[in-house]
Amino acid sequence: MADQLRLLAIPSRVRQERVARTVAIVSLVVLFASMPLAAQTPKVHYRYQGNEPPGAIGSMQLLRGGPLPGYFQPVEIKAPSGALISLAVDGAFVESAKAPVRVGMLIAPVYRLRVTNIPLHEGEEVFPTIEIIDRIYPPVGEVTRFPIPIELMRDDLELALEGHYITRVVYLEDPGQALPVASGGKEQEWFDTGPGTNPVEIADRLGRPVAIIRMGGRVPDLRSGADAQFFAGSPPFVPLSADCRPLVSGPVIVPAPIHTATATDEHVTPTAYVKAGPRAPAKSVIPSRERQPQ
Amino acid sequence: MRDRIENHFASISTPPHPALSHEGRGISQYAQMLGSRGKAWHPAVMSHRHAKYSLKCAWALVLAAMLLAICCSCRSPMGTTALAPGASGAPPCPAGEEMTTAVAEMGPAMPPYMPAPLPYQVTGSWSPPGIALPWPEDEYLRDGGDDGSPVAVAPDWTVYGLELEDTIAHFDTTDGRTMIEPSNKVVVYAPRFGSVRMITRLAGNEQAEPVAGIDGPERIARNDETTIPATSLQRIQLERQGGIRLTGEFRSRRGDGALSRAQFVSAFQDAFLPYENITVLRTGEFANNEKARLAAAVQAAITWTADAAVQVVIDNKAAQIVTGDRRAQATYTIDDLRNNPKLRVIKVASTNTALPGETVDFTIRFDNVGDQVLGNIVLLDSLTTRLEYVPDSAQASLEAAFSVKPNEGDSLVLRWEIDKPIEPGDGGVLRFRCVVR
Repeated sequence: MADQLRLLAIPSRVRQERVARTVAIVSLVVLFASMPLAAQTPKVHYRYQGNEPPGAIGSMQLLRGGPLPGYFQPVEIKAPSGALISLAVDGAFVESAKAPVRVGMLIAPVYRLRVTNIPLHEGEEVFPTIEIIDRIYPPVGEVTRFPIPIELMRDDLELALEGHYITRVVYLEDPGQALPVASGGKEQEWFDTGPGTNPVEIADRLGRPVAIIRMGGRVPDLRSGADAQFFAGSPPFVPLSADCRPLVSGPVIVPAPIHTATATDEHVTPTAYVKAGPRAPAKSVIPSRERQPQ
Repeated sequence: MRDRIENHFASISTPPHPALSHEGRGISQYAQMLGSRGKAWHPAVMSHRHAKYSLKCAWALVLAAMLLAICCSCRSPMGTTALAPGASGAPPCPAGEEMTTAVAEMGPAMPPYMPAPLPYQVTGSWSPPGIALPWPEDEYLRDGGDDGSPVAVAPDWTVYGLELEDTIAHFDTTDGRTMIEPSNKVVVYAPRFGSVRMITRLAGNEQAEPVAGIDGPERIARNDETTIPATSLQRIQLERQGGIRLTGEFRSRRGDGALSRAQFVSAFQDAFLPYENITVLRTGEFANNEKARLAAAVQAAITWTADAAVQVVIDNKAAQIVTGDRRAQATYTIDDLRNNPKLRVIKVASTNTALPGETVDFTIRFDNVGDQVLGNIVLLDSLTTRLEYVPDSAQASLEAAFSVKPNEGDSLVLRWEIDKPIEPGDGGVLRFRCVVR
């Protein structure tokens, strides 16, 4: 009986313990061997692409929270010497001003500009857009001294006139990855990315994207009436002085009435992509039957 | 039957099998136990149950290991949160921040299940509550201290571990030791912007469809599609990854209580600059009424707020402030400063904000606050990448050999070798100028 007990129980116990021990050791070895894999950075999926519609990235940024909604981020819009810049109010461009122009812009809305009097391209116009997607946090009393520079470079304007579409992502440089070059008083450091790349992703690697400039996409067609999409609703902005002090007590907020085409719209005829030259005679909006002699 | 089994076990020579012998008791005793209580088990049966228990434990261990492996293999959705634009330095998004202006202005009238709103401003500065300033880090330049790997000095005075932004002094004592003393950190708000451009060439798509002849059985169609290759001007992209260092807190050290001897600077080309009008910089003596100004100059970009009250420092560590209904107690310690060489290094900047292209003056004050003469004093300042040393701007109140050499950030390491030993209570001032890149 004892032999039977020993023969039946002990070998089975030893075998089961051995199997369990082996499985446990193998599991622990696999676990520790796979721990470095868990520490590695996984492949990332960037939500934002460089070809997102204007306003899409900024809107998503607002959903992330933080003190972004309602904040007018000071922006300094630079352009080649002599160029004139005009912002849109009430579905039309206001009087042009010489660059640089300093304004406070909301985060997420799309601001449409008109750039005229471009050196060596007088008579041509470019209509870039600016989308602020993040803000900066200067110390108290220094908010207006550190605007985000938006540089409409001459090369970009000329490429836009030639029919290219330019996307420029402005980012706040990470001091830990700063380029050892002096950029004081000159244009900001920038570089090109190849086709098929994501400029937002590259800018995010180098720092913190804060603004997106797009130009070369659309031209307004004011003859046929207001184009609300072209002006993106004419979001409000705060004009700032040369030292980035507010010129008015509040933002320029004008309700956008329905704009009807009139004969006075001739002076804002879009001329982008049209080389300088004699313009076609203006068409009259008066019905022809009224001009017929009696 | 029982006797046969007992005899059989008795015939087994020592050592008995553990499954069949339990502390010298025979099977009869177990049989008696079985008969008396009905709950005892035969040793073989108990061993079998023990094996079952061990097996269960082993399988439980296996399951726990597999569960741990599964948990370790899971990753948080970094691709959707940390990798959005601005993730590297964007403001955090704690719950409850997603609010509109109207919600933010509601203040305490918000429902109780919603977290309290953050301080909200349409314009002006903002910093998240509970996070040490300066914030965010990517908008500030730092210089001073000894972050990263600690600096070490070899017997031949070769310095190891001096990284970007580090500012240290090493000196020899009379008892043959070589000691290292880092300075405090100086923070300057100096954001710099860059941009990435992508050019998209609009592809031409022409399709010509001539008029179809009414007589022809087949209509002639022509389809021209021209795809113009896009040009790409690829510049050199950045590949280097630099470390981002957190700002250390300002640490103040106190000596043995003896007043430092007034040491007026006489070797400077200029008088003291306005931002250096602090007693500890001019004479080396601490003045309590200037503590706020000194702290403001040291961490130049940090706003001096009400919560930055008088700090208690014991053994070079900040003391904890305990509030409550219990009786407050305080323990004071006295350091025996005999045979305690110590060098105090203070670094301040002329401004707390700077645009690219502007200059920033730095002043380093060092004092012998120990009880020994210090010799072979060398001060090293490894400038960060965005600080460019202005040539011939270095000054020293004591006779010193000044030299520079490049560092890994394409900037310079400034080096002052003080010629003469410094007596206890004495000190000196160094000054140099940098351009913010």
